[in-house]
Amino acid sequence: MPSPEQILQIVSELAASWTWKMETRQPEPNRIDVVLPSPADLVPFVVGLRVQRLGYLSTITGLDPGVDSGHLELLYHFCPGPAVINLRLTVPRDGARVPTLTEIIPSAESAEREVREMFGVTFDGLRNADPLYLPDDWPAGVYPLRKDFDGNGRLKLA
Amino acid sequence: MEPRSETERFTVPIGPQHPALKEPGHFRISVEGEIVTQAAVRLGYAHRGIEKGAEGRNWIRNQYLVERICGICSHIHATAYCLGVERLAKVEVPPRAQVIRVLVAELERIHSHLLWIGVAGHEAGFDTLFMYSWRDREAIMDVLEALTGNRVNYSANVLGGVKCDVDDALRDTILRTVDGLEKRTEHYLRVVTTDALFLQRTRGIGVMTRAQAEVLGAVGPTARASGVERDVRVEAPYAAYPSFPVRIVTDTRGDLEARVVVRVRELFECYRLVREILDHMPPGELHGRMPRRIPEGETISRVEAPRGELFYFLKSNGSDTPERVRVRTPTVCNMTSVVRLVVGHQLADVPMILAGIDPCFSCNDRVIDVERKGRAAEQWTWEQLRAYGVDTYHGHRP
Repeated sequence: MPSPEQILQIVSELAASWTWKMETRQPEPNRIDVVLPSPADLVPFVVGLRVQRLGYLSTITGLDPGVDSGHLELLYHFCPGPAVINLRLTVPRDGARVPTLTEIIPSAESAEREVREMFGVTFDGLRNADPLYLPDDWPAGVYPLRKDFDGNGRLKLA
Repeated sequence: MEPRSETERFTVPIGPQHPALKEPGHFRISVEGEIVTQAAVRLGYAHRGIEKGAEGRNWIRNQYLVERICGICSHIHATAYCLGVERLAKVEVPPRAQVIRVLVAELERIHSHLLWIGVAGHEAGFDTLFMYSWRDREAIMDVLEALTGNRVNYSANVLGGVKCDVDDALRDTILRTVDGLEKRTEHYLRVVTTDALFLQRTRGIGVMTRAQAEVLGAVGPTARASGVERDVRVEAPYAAYPSFPVRIVTDTRGDLEARVVVRVRELFECYRLVREILDHMPPGELHGRMPRRIPEGETISRVEAPRGELFYFLKSNGSDTPERVRVRTPTVCNMTSVVRLVVGHQLADVPMILAGIDPCFSCNDRVIDVERKGRAAEQWTWEQLRAYGVDTYHGHRP
């Protein structure tokens, strides 16, 4: 396994060679954040990581920056050996659609199902879109990990 | 009576009440005769909303919350959390504290692996192994209690360090316990590799090749038993692991036997680490100073739990409560492999394959407060407990 510096170098070169300008940050010595311009860039970039053998997906984190921001953020955490690669994707709050990664990485299924039910992001091509943790009678359109969910099963009304 | 088609499929719902272990999970297993053709899993029966709960508590209270994600590996959850928060706060943790963290983590791994060997024996119909390994596990529980004050949810960590120390008397007790357990573990290794009954249930069952393990994203001993060298302690050493390097234990066979053998051999590695740590304890402080408000930022903290890579994502907004705490436990990763591996096996092998990944449902659901309404917390004496648990069954009540 290459050193963290080498991995970060490979990823930043991959991002620099992209057709669209892609912003990268290195907030920690072993971590690189790549800001993906659109959901269409996700699958090609992950294929690029897989080709470099850096494609071990640890998990996907959903982030809600707040109702006012009007969007959600998805973080794909790839953890090859000592390094961490975060792919950051900003999606609209309502009707977000993102391509699934399960065709390339079957283990992404559990993470995608979780983000789908907790944040309300649709993964195009996800074959098993059943809820993973939430009960069958969970009300449609209520996403518990969004900031406007108050934790008592009710949505806060503005 | 009409003859039934020989290839008729049947779906067996298993769970949510203990499909293999005493924890809830629901499996839908399609079978043709005895052979499994498809499997699907539903989790969440122990979902307590901890990730959401963490957003409403301050950084200090959250440490005790995340410890309660799992009763078996509570220390490693707290360690992952503390290491992340300390990195955000840029607080230097004294070396002695880091070493004690690793010591407790390895003791916890010993207790977790011994527990699992018992569960595996129980699932295979080998309850003697279960009784013996759980008896031996008590020795390590006593050590953990002597060290931290608790058998489970030890809370050895505080933000910025640890709150327990090892003195010479305790050091001798730990070393004596480890010596005794090492002899027992040699016996277990012999049993699990030679006992004909046990091998019938494990050899060649649930085989996962190296390529499969990589594609399915398996972690921990499950991955290592398939030859994947994935261990956070080795790849990205944290806490005191840079000074106490771990020798990775792998196997190439990828079947249930390999998973058992890898875990048993990891026990020897734990014993070696515990001895080495106790021989080279750096002197010094036990904790540094921690601010109440954590500076804005994001960090990722990865540690090796007994079941594999444990992943924490922490985001701070500069206040005394976190913006987001994301936990990904190893069982979630390994569950994908179970639903693939059981296909083609006999229905009777399903519990064994499930137990083979050492699943922890509380961990992956991590999300309920059990509260008996209207009753104050009670403390029972040993006699009361014994009366409740043992004497009742002998027909004599005090």
